[in-house]
Amino acid sequence: MEKYFDVSYLWEAFPVLLPFLKVTFLVVGVSVLLGTGFGILLTMAKVGSSKILRKLANGYTTVLRCTPSIILLFLVYYGVPAIGAQFGLDLNQVDKIVFVITAFTLQFAAIMSEVVRSAYESIDKGQYEAGVSVGLSAFQVYRRIIVPQALVVAIPNFGNALIALFQEGALAYTIGLIDVVGKAELIIASNYDTHALEVYLALAVIYWVLSILIEQFFLKIEKVVGKGKRSMQTV
Amino acid sequence: MAEGLNISFLWEAFFIALSGVPITLLVTIVALVIALPTGFILALSRFYRIPLLRQIASVYISFVRGTPIIVQIFIIYSSIPLMLDILFKKYNIGINIYEIHPIWYAFIVFSFNTTAILIEVFRSALQSIDQGQYEAAQSIGLTSVQAYRRIIIPQLLVVAMPNLCTATVNLIKATSLGYAFSLQEITLRTKVAANMNYNYIEAYLAIFIVYLLLCSAVEYGFKVYENRLARYQLRMA
Repeated sequence: MEKYFDVSYLWEAFPVLLPFLKVTFLVVGVSVLLGTGFGILLTMAKVGSSKILRKLANGYTTVLRCTPSIILLFLVYYGVPAIGAQFGLDLNQVDKIVFVITAFTLQFAAIMSEVVRSAYESIDKGQYEAGVSVGLSAFQVYRRIIVPQALVVAIPNFGNALIALFQEGALAYTIGLIDVVGKAELIIASNYDTHALEVYLALAVIYWVLSILIEQFFLKIEKVVGKGKRSMQTV
Repeated sequence: MAEGLNISFLWEAFFIALSGVPITLLVTIVALVIALPTGFILALSRFYRIPLLRQIASVYISFVRGTPIIVQIFIIYSSIPLMLDILFKKYNIGINIYEIHPIWYAFIVFSFNTTAILIEVFRSALQSIDQGQYEAAQSIGLTSVQAYRRIIIPQLLVVAMPNLCTATVNLIKATSLGYAFSLQEITLRTKVAANMNYNYIEAYLAIFIVYLLLCSAVEYGFKVYENRLARYQLRMA
């Protein structure tokens, strides 16, 4: 009878899994960049003067918040090529990673729009007026007064959103993307579905360590951007 | 696929998805019933810095927050049968571990996950309550239990409600991962129905609508309850 639990499978999984983090990082990195851009546009719609745009942006955030990532992933994976087909485009040959990035960009934008909005609203209106009254242009006020203060509020939430995205990204394997999770499934399949637990534990360790590293990184940044705030309290 | 949506299947899929709602709700409610008291007690252990329990709680929270739910599901789903197998063989219990109903795994996985989230929710809510409230309660002769029951917890709930709402919505969304241990909830039922004619878009649209309705209803319910809980504050203001 074979051993139930064999640690050697755990150790062997690491060198095989780690190179596939590249795919995971690519998905997270691109989704964060595009999602933040789209999220800022959504925030502008939310705090802007157009009623229709505000309703649309708020509706979008509510809908996306209520959609499980896995459902969004499949909707994009099946839906986008179908929509493309209506316009005579054949999107079935497009790499799966494109659909994964699209889905997570849509999701991250919804989260980011709230992060940016709460940071923006935390800044007193008087700050802007004070900046303008000393002769700064609107752009200068944002660049030198509003953004540095808003960043302090936004960074912890941004860090949490990034960690959440990193973890939700684990679901990309469901549409067949070979990232760390996808590779783990392949290892298990090649072991004839035995010793799955060891491989999953290796996977958990990888995610755990990376999440802690990201968290620590953001705590550091928080201290750097928050230094102006603290000196004001102590002086 | 240029012929567009199959509306009749979309309609059919919508009702199949709805038929999964009771399972999803059952898992959600059981997970919350387990996680609420456990989370609260562990939050107290962190708040009062009880040795050992505090360290265990912080490693536990770090693990749950640091790993994707799907990986937690994989681990629990592959480790529990191994452990039970050893136990059952040792004591000659004649239960086939592969016939355990998946809903038991769902209860374990989701209460394991939600408890950790709620510890943090309650801890931050505890920190928001002025220590003087507790001292005042004691000085008029209430016991610790009475002070918590009548003074601290009612105030704490108001603070915790928005985060509890988020946690509940996230929990409902996470149950869509029940497919990993073949739990017959909203997602899996509809997906299986779609397999017959490859109507995946319709199936996922139906699932999407059902989750949207379900989560909106839960959010609305929380908002109503939150207003009810906060009625004392409103009166004071």
